[in-house]
Amino acid sequence: MKGNQRIFGRALRQSSVLLATALVPALLAAMLHPRRPSWSRAQAEVPEVNWAAVSAWAGPVLLVDARPPEAFALRHILGALSLPESRWEAQLPGVVRAWQPGCRVVVYCDDRACDASQEVAQRLRRELGIDPVFVLQGGWSAWLAARPH
Amino acid sequence: MARSPATLTAGVARVAVAAVFIAAGALKARDPAAFTTAVDHYRLVPYPVAAGLALYVPWLEITCGVAVLWARLRLGALNLLLGLCAMFAAALASAWWRHLDIACGCFGPGAGSRPALLLDLARALALGLACAVLLGRELRDLPPEAGAA
Repeated sequence: MKGNQRIFGRALRQSSVLLATALVPALLAAMLHPRRPSWSRAQAEVPEVNWAAVSAWAGPVLLVDARPPEAFALRHILGALSLPESRWEAQLPGVVRAWQPGCRVVVYCDDRACDASQEVAQRLRRELGIDPVFVLQGGWSAWLAARPH
Repeated sequence: MARSPATLTAGVARVAVAAVFIAAGALKARDPAAFTTAVDHYRLVPYPVAAGLALYVPWLEITCGVAVLWARLRLGALNLLLGLCAMFAAALASAWWRHLDIACGCFGPGAGSRPALLLDLARALALGLACAVLLGRELRDLPPEAGAA
């Protein structure tokens, strides 16, 4: 019994040392890392926009499809460019060529349960400085429901 | 003195477990903002908590990965890594259960898809099993008076 208590105490001491040790670089990263996160979702997330609003926009709009390549190959919104995260390096140059300053970018994925559009939109904003960039509310499913028949 | 095959296997397993956690931690620590997004997509914790976890967990993985190779801290490191694996597996299983189409985020930014989540869950469980086996061996091999150290 005493042996078990000692082993438990030893594991607890070692774990505490490791937990405290990891805290030091984590705090430094929170203060100094160039890619440190913001503490508010509103600052970090790309705003959503619905299809009705996109349709009413004047000026150029670049649609980016963040769904897997197979889904894009099957069907996609006319004029959209494929940019899934799995093929980021290969497909990004095409998106960069199509984008021009002042052009609004709208990224979509399958539906509300997917987060690929938010991730791709954030990367476009963060890594390329593209702005304004939006996420299509409800994604492909919402577009299917809202498109003109 | 010749080492038994079991001792050699345990040594190799420790190096493999350490390498996986150090690599996973380093890849995530490079981009805390991207990892915050990945954690947030699980929809399990408020955004500021996701940011805190994204800053801390990668460094905890690296610290514990290194400590697994050091006998004086191995017991605590394996306990913490087992806990981390349980946490990762629970988060992945919950994402699968809720039909979330998200990326694991386990090794930095990546493409999300439900089949990949299952593979990630299997990997987390396998890593957890390896940690549990190594922890069991560590406890068995402790000398009776070791608890006092």
